[in-house]
Formats: sequence, structure tokens, C-alpha cells
Amino acid sequence: MKFHWFHLMPYPYLPDRFRERYPSVWVDLPAGEVYDPVRGHQVYNDYLDQLEFAERAGFDGLCVNEHHQNGYGLMPSPNLMAAALARRTSKAKLIVLGNSVALYDPPTRVAEEMAMLDVLSGGRLVSGFPVGTGMDTAFCYGANPATLRDKYREGVELVLRAWKTRKPFAFNGKYTQLRYVNPWPVPIQTPHPPIWIPGGGSIETWEWCVANNFLYAYLSYWGYEAGRPVMDGFWETVDRLGADRNPYRAGFLQFVGVADNDADAERLYAEAGEYFYNRCFHIGAGFYSPPGYSSMATIRRGVNSAVVQASKHLRTASVTWKHLIDDGVIIAGSPQTIADRLNDMADKINVGHVMLLCQFGNMPMETVLYNTARFARDVMPKLRDRFSEHEDHWWPKTALDVQKPAPVSIAAE
Amino acid sequence: MLANETIRHPDGRTSKVFRAGQGPVVVWLHGPHGIRGHDPVIAELAKRHSVVAPLAPGFADLGELDAIGNVHELALHYDDVFAALGLEAVTLVGHSFGAMAAAEVAAHFPRRVARLALISPIGLWLDQHPLPDMFAVPYMTIDTVLWKAGKALPAMADPADEPNNPVERQVAIAQGLTTVAKFVWPLPDRGLRRRLPRITAQTLVIAGADDRFVPAPYVEEFAARIPRARAAIIPDAAHMVPYEQPAEVFRLLEAWPHPKGKAA
Repeated sequence: MKFHWFHLMPYPYLPDRFRERYPSVWVDLPAGEVYDPVRGHQVYNDYLDQLEFAERAGFDGLCVNEHHQNGYGLMPSPNLMAAALARRTSKAKLIVLGNSVALYDPPTRVAEEMAMLDVLSGGRLVSGFPVGTGMDTAFCYGANPATLRDKYREGVELVLRAWKTRKPFAFNGKYTQLRYVNPWPVPIQTPHPPIWIPGGGSIETWEWCVANNFLYAYLSYWGYEAGRPVMDGFWETVDRLGADRNPYRAGFLQFVGVADNDADAERLYAEAGEYFYNRCFHIGAGFYSPPGYSSMATIRRGVNSAVVQASKHLRTASVTWKHLIDDGVIIAGSPQTIADRLNDMADKINVGHVMLLCQFGNMPMETVLYNTARFARDVMPKLRDRFSEHEDHWWPKTALDVQKPAPVSIAAE
Repeated sequence: MLANETIRHPDGRTSKVFRAGQGPVVVWLHGPHGIRGHDPVIAELAKRHSVVAPLAPGFADLGELDAIGNVHELALHYDDVFAALGLEAVTLVGHSFGAMAAAEVAAHFPRRVARLALISPIGLWLDQHPLPDMFAVPYMTIDTVLWKAGKALPAMADPADEPNNPVERQVAIAQGLTTVAKFVWPLPDRGLRRRLPRITAQTLVIAGADDRFVPAPYVEEFAARIPRARAAIIPDAAHMVPYEQPAEVFRLLEAWPHPKGKAA
């Protein structure tokens, strides 16, 4: 098993009575009224410190992602955050679980920036290509939901072709026409960094991932039990298309809180958990699923995206810590409790790449560092050998030993 | 149920046209709900007319939209339909999205349309009068913002004609609204305002007084930009005005003058 430290970068100062005062944390939450950029300066720097700390603690990868106009995701450009991390880390892989390719015209911008990150980091990039949520794409970026997925597929095809070809070609697409596709730089990893596709349960995405050997990452906010229908659908697709059930084909997101025992976990993490699910996940119902965002086949299968699931969970009463624990949304407690649950998760949904949210909501800095350090020290060793019989083909394995350049001393003389 | 026939387009595609009634031809371009088995407006029109009601591409199968990338190709699509049916200088009545399509057809092919009724037409954006977002409610609840009563007439509540199959009901609504979205997302402006002066048809613009998606300034703008247009705003109705106030809408349509020398 591999363990990755995932940051959503939530704004930790969403006001009290948030659900009564604002219709949505996403899309139309007034930026100038709620977001304080002076506090934001500290927040960004704290969050980057946390990610850097996670590398030192022993996490395999650091995950950043892309959201727009979102009070719980302050990374409209995950590439900027990954660039900052590239300079201050040296071992952990940089798992960029955006870019939403359809939002960039031309999509070769994504090929350029991802390659910059791969070169800057010495071949440590994992390149994620989400469709992007309906909120991010259709509502915030004005992307047409009727054509979003088609445009996204074409854009990913263009990026991959550019990375594989590495010499000029013309591209006559439905959405992008370019006379000279020839992005500089090219990635260190050949033919390109591993491709991870964050998905939310769209059945076409399963087939596409398996057919192209992309990793499928299910970013569920509801725990692995709730995530089973989606992961079962993915593994059924793997079987149907004749691929192997290598657990490293899949990733899953899980909230965790490590403590001495259950009571201690509640003391440490309850406020942050309730903050996340009551404020950060308060999303206007009209924004979840613009018409066309889900295919008719996906509607017929009845699989709802993570955010639509959220709307069901959160439509009425406010969420309590007890609810989050009882439903398996957050896994919290002693290291043994957490290891047992993650083993159970491995049994049930067969994921080799576990993305952990050790920071969520308004969790204080010292608690984040404590959670991170204890997970790495007390939980990871219990699970390290899980799936060791499988080879991970979805992970950077740069042959050349890229050394981080020694800093040049610039003295004023 | 309405009779229907299949039209073959020059590129080999097919599309479906519903028919009802006898008399002078009226072409009906439907709104966001598509065409249902028992559409009260088609039934009323069919009392005095031969109603030709093409189903907009996408409503039955989103794959049909692969060949129709923009409003110009949508206008060409309807020109194919008119050509296949031998329709010239017709009376064309459109509602909502269908009114936008009707205006595009009349602007692209003025000779095809002698009389034009635009009922609750979308397709314009005025910066001084920003419109609310029709898509910012869950699409399964879109009726709450389209009808003055906040809910559909019983006869219009079941798009799939399958009241016992909620999944197919959802698919029917999703396909229709995805089609609408394709041509109006994120704002309902594809340059129609620039093309409206090309329309030569005798034109009637009708909207409900409580239509939040076609408020009075938009009705005035349509009427001002189309050379031979009159406008009427009907009280106690919203976006679904032909269903909410059918008597008044049909009174206006019947009293609507014919262009000189043209048959209805």
C-alpha cells in the first residue's frame, strides 16, 4: 500500500451559522465578504508547511487538486502549489489531481505546466486529469455541460499525444485546432508521468481508465463503505475488459484522525470534522449536477457522484461527529483501530493507493502535524506490506537518479 | 398519442416529426419539455390547423447533437425538415427554447417563414437586465421556476409518458435540458440579437408577466429588433404561458394578421 497526504486547502474562517447565512460554499459565495486575503496569506503558508511536513513524516505522495470559487478548496491552480512544493521537497511524489483539461484553451497549456512540474521536481510528478465537478466546470468556468466530457477526452488525447510524440504535429480537433503542437518542456518521465483520473462514478470513465491503463481515483467524502458501489463498478469493468485486479490501478480518499483512543479522537477531531461537513460541504443544490454533466448511461445505472451523495446526507439536519464516525465517513481512533479499518477497506475495495485527509475543516496546525506524524509512525508500518505482491505500474519510476541541485550561495559581497 | 413520421436529412441523419389536426399548416417548435403524448397546446392548435411538430434534435437521443454544433447548424437542421415536408412561407410558432430556434430559422431562412410567433423566447442577454440562471436549480425541479404555480400542470408532469419509471423520467428531462443547455450555456446569447433584423415574417412576441426568464425588457427588445413585430404580455402567467393561459394565447394567435397575399 502507498499512502498519500491530500490537502483540500479549506478556508478555515467560514463564519458561524454558515448554512443559514449563505446558500452555498461554492460558486457564488461572495469572495470579498468571506475571504480575508491577509489571513489567507498565513493559511497558504501553513498548508504548504503541512504538506512539506508530510514528506518528512514518510508519506509517499503529496496531493493537491483544483477547485474554483470554493470555500473549501483554495487551489484554483494546483500547479502553483505543486511548484512551491517541488522546490522544498525531494522524495515525495507530487500528485496533482487537477488539471481539468477541458477548462484550458488550448489544452497544451496543461501539457506545458505538467511537464514543467515534472522537470522541476526531477520526475516526481503524477499527472491527474479530472473532468472537474459541475460546480468548477459548468458554473464557475462556463463550460458547456453538454459537451464538457467530449471536450475533456479530446484535450487529454491531445496532451498525451504531445508527450508521446515530442515533435511538431497538427491537431484538428472538434474543440481545439492547432497548426503546431510542440510543447516545451517535455516531461522527464517517458513516455509521460503516470496518469491518474479522479472520478466520481461515471461509468464511461471506468471503461476509459481501464482501456488506457490510467489509475482510477475515487475521491469520495463518505468513506469506503459508501464508496463500494462505485469501486465495485470499477472492478467489474476491469474484469469485463480482461485487465488484472492489480490494486494499484485504484486510489481512494479517506478522512482519518489518529489518537490514543476513540474519546481522544473526538476531542481532537470532532470540531474540524463537523466544520468540514457542515460548512465546507454546504453546496447549493442547484449546482451539483447541471444537465448533461452525467451521461444518460450513468443516470440509468443510478450511481451518484460524491457531491450528489453529499447532498443526500446533508440536506436536512446538521452533521455530528457521531454521525461521521457511525457512518464510516471519518475513520478515527487508536492506530490499531485505523489500521483495522484500512485493512477492511483494502479487503472490500482493493485499493493500493490511499489518499489521506489528515487535515480537514478548521483543524489547528498542531493537530494536523500530530495526526500526520502519528499516522506515519503508528499506522503506516502496520499496512506497509499490504499488496506487496503486486507491482505498481501507476507510480513514477524515473530511472535516472535526479539529484536536487545544490542551492547556489548568493552572498552580497 | 400523436401521429409521427421520420424525416431523412441529406447527410443521412433522421429526425422525428409529430402531426395532428387538419387545416392550414402551423409548425410548432416545442419548449424545454419536449413533446408529450398529450400536449394541450398541440391539441388546441390541432382544432383548426394541421400541426407539424418536429422533435428537437437531442430530446430523444443526445447523440443527435453530435452533428449539430451550434445554432447555425440547428437552423440548417430545421431547414432540412421544412424542405423534406415541402414547407414554404409557413406559420411558425415556438415556445421558450423552441421560440429561440424559431427566431433563428426565420433569421437564417426568411423565406421559409411568413408568420412567426415567439412565445416566451429565450436567446437574448441584456446587461442592464441580467437574467436569473435557469439551470441553478436541480434539473428535476425545473418546473418550480418555469410555472407561476411552481409546479407543472398534471398533463405536463410526465415527460417520458412512463409515470411509473422514475429513471426514464429523469433521463427524459436530462436529455431535454442538456439539449437546451448546449445552445444557451452559460448565457442565452449566441448572437441572435444581431440576426433579428433579418426576419421578414409578421411576428408576434408573447410572454407571461411573471416570466423571470423573459421579463418585459426582453420582450421589448425582441419586438424592437424584428422589423414587423408586435408584443403582448399576458398577466398571471410565467414561462409556461401557453399552458398557463391558453385562452389568451390562442386569442392572440387567432387575431394575428396574415401578411398580405400569403395564405395561413
